[in-house]
Amino acid sequence: MKNRLRVLRAEREWSQQDLADRLDVSRQSVNAIETGKYDPSLPLAFRIADVFALRIEEIFLREVDAQAAQ
Amino acid sequence: MDNATRRGAKPGLWAGMFAANMALIFVLSITGALEQPIPLILIALNCVLLVPMVKAAMQRMEDRGAVTTAVRRYNRRFLGASALYAIAMIAAGAATNYIPDASPLIWALAILPMLPAFGMIWAMMRYLAEEADEYQRHRAVQASMVGLALVLVIGTGWGFLETFGLVPHIWAWWVFPAWAMGLGVGMAWTEFRQRDAGEPQ
Repeated sequence: MKNRLRVLRAEREWSQQDLADRLDVSRQSVNAIETGKYDPSLPLAFRIADVFALRIEEIFLREVDAQAAQ
Repeated sequence: MDNATRRGAKPGLWAGMFAANMALIFVLSITGALEQPIPLILIALNCVLLVPMVKAAMQRMEDRGAVTTAVRRYNRRFLGASALYAIAMIAAGAATNYIPDASPLIWALAILPMLPAFGMIWAMMRYLAEEADEYQRHRAVQASMVGLALVLVIGTGWGFLETFGLVPHIWAWWVFPAWAMGLGVGMAWTEFRQRDAGEPQ
């Protein structure tokens, strides 16, 4: 699944560790999600959305939407 | 801690030494070069290498931002159980020659290693229950599946090879070290895949 985590982090000038601390997960987990190696569960996706004060679909994109956006 | 000391952490080196020793003991014991209980005692002594290996692995994980409270707790429990396992193996190995066959003490010594073996599985189960980081939990499950695959596939294969008289007999207690090594391989494999994805700060 595609996501906009890297961009959203950059906008806020957060490191992966900053985001990891806010989510109470390891930095490795943030990296795995960001690079698309691991898709978070729905509860974690909601936590990520809360941290950025966005809706889940503003952060995670369906493959088709991601292709259309390119 | 500065970067130079962090880079010095080489869990793979310790794991490799541990695996090489185990392989050597395994070969020497199935070829009959070493008589029981010598292999048991050697394996127990080899477990000492697990201490620097876990320390180095922890340092590397710390560096990669993969250490959670549950990991620390798991390591403490697992090392404790491993130490008890090694002591039980040495005790059982050293005492076999001095205790008459079929004495109740022999039964007790033979059953003794089951307790720390259960302790190690318990530590893993507690880890899966306590780990709040779902990605780390996912990795641990994957790694334990690699360990399970190693034990079941090699165990089944060896069993049939033995049935047809193609390979010598091996003791069933090899399952635990084999599983633990598979677990290590599994962890290293997921670590490698993570690195493959690139790990920007």
